[in-house]
Amino acid sequence: MAAAAIVADRVTKAFEGGRRDQVVALKDLTLEVAEGEFVCLVGGSGCGKTTFLNLVAGFLAPSAGAIYLRGRAVSGIEPSAGMIFQSYALLPWKTVAGNVEFGPRMKRLPRAECRAIADRFIRMVGLSGFEHFYPGQLSGGMQQRVTLARLLAADREVFLMDEPFAALDAMTRQVMQEELIRIHEQSRKTTVFVTHNIDEALILADRIVVMSARPGRVRASIANDLPRPRHVDVQLSPRYLELKTQIWGHVEEEVRRHIEATPRAD
Amino acid sequence: MRGRAVTARAPEAAAPDGAPAARRLPRWGGASRSFALGALSVLVLLGIWQLVTAGGYISAIFLPSPAQVFRQARRYLSDGSLFWHVLTSGRRVLVGFALAAIVAVPLGIALGTSRTAKALFDPILSIIRPLPSLSWIPLTILWFGIDEGQKYAIVFMGTFASALLYVMESTRRVDPLLIKAAQNLGATRLDVLREVILPGSLPGIISGLKVCLALAWTCVLSAEMVAATHGLGALIWFAKDWNNMALVMVGMVSISITVLVLDSAFRLVEDKILPWERHQRRRDV
Repeated sequence: MAAAAIVADRVTKAFEGGRRDQVVALKDLTLEVAEGEFVCLVGGSGCGKTTFLNLVAGFLAPSAGAIYLRGRAVSGIEPSAGMIFQSYALLPWKTVAGNVEFGPRMKRLPRAECRAIADRFIRMVGLSGFEHFYPGQLSGGMQQRVTLARLLAADREVFLMDEPFAALDAMTRQVMQEELIRIHEQSRKTTVFVTHNIDEALILADRIVVMSARPGRVRASIANDLPRPRHVDVQLSPRYLELKTQIWGHVEEEVRRHIEATPRAD
Repeated sequence: MRGRAVTARAPEAAAPDGAPAARRLPRWGGASRSFALGALSVLVLLGIWQLVTAGGYISAIFLPSPAQVFRQARRYLSDGSLFWHVLTSGRRVLVGFALAAIVAVPLGIALGTSRTAKALFDPILSIIRPLPSLSWIPLTILWFGIDEGQKYAIVFMGTFASALLYVMESTRRVDPLLIKAAQNLGATRLDVLREVILPGSLPGIISGLKVCLALAWTCVLSAEMVAATHGLGALIWFAKDWNNMALVMVGMVSISITVLVLDSAFRLVEDKILPWERHQRRRDV
């Protein structure tokens, strides 16, 4: 196996809470993601999946432990990690082209080069002809394509995706998953993809990491050996069902634990 | 003036799920229909006004008839003096308001983005803001005399604190997720300010400034009533002294029309510098 692209070394993250003194989102989380690997983080809500991505991207600092990207500790906003948010986070005052070329422009590349990069990735996600549209004029699926193009144009070593398809309808979602598979097979970028949809994880991931309920840590790490290139019909194979049952077993137990641990009146 | 911003968003905000047909009306069809309805209601108002005054239901001492007001207006229009008054007041409003905006916009953005600056200026701001512009008249007369400088100062003092507050609030209300996304794409602090905070707060700043522009008119009119020989406020006060209510109403109507014209000019500017907002408005129509 190649060298680890992301190493989380006994990472703990606690937030100062209001009435209950402290919320420990992550506790001694240790995780390695190999170069080029596509890892899906699966777990119920509140297990610290998003917190983990925020730590890798450098938006948050760990309370204890450390995160290394290619051997370098993350401190402050991480220039080598690119993030996709569930709610798109496109700049509404910029056109599709303006949003996609934002990354290259921040690198102070020459104007023409920014344009060329943006054009290339807009074409890759199938949005040619929409360059001069504003995000507000596009559907949710199209907006999420723009964020994908924006991420690709920014040319980051590590991709972090926080439930990027959760807000999409089932059909658009499937198309986007296939697109992402295709892009990943071409680029082989190290990707951490957060989802609470096991089917989505099984379609996309090389490895599926099930997180425990709060405080979050790794409960199980399951290699996804479904053959690539993957298509949706892989869902009909017996191996798929086997993996799904196995993962669901872990997830269900954690979700139950979480529900029982949560006080009713809040 | 604030009403414009509200109506512009009404189709999105207020359209209930049960009214898809209304939402599909073509944009200009909808607009010209509202224009026709608006014109109709003004005409009806004028008609009732003419009816009750000419019919003798209300004495001309209490309310002059539209015809009297119109005659009065024609007299003041023909010798150009009405234009002169409008221009004088308009210039005072625009200069004072522009000065306030020039100081308030950068300062407000600084206060909206820096906690230290906010902690420093907030107390001063909350002391100045509740003061009505009229209360500045004695001091400004003492400092600037009764010429144009004093009028500008009144408008400035009357609008500055509110403008500052609007700018600060709009700056602070920019979606933090957008800032995060920009930083993730490699934006520096300055990039974030230029590419995210400025455009993100612009719609709020503009609608705030529109409110302040209306405020500027009240400031200038009250200043002109106290110490001025020209301007619409002075005209109204002069007419009052001569008990010429028709002329008072000419002054009032002139204010309305001038503000309306300025407001539509502002709207054109707004559509030019906020193209994405225009698209957003159209999206659901």
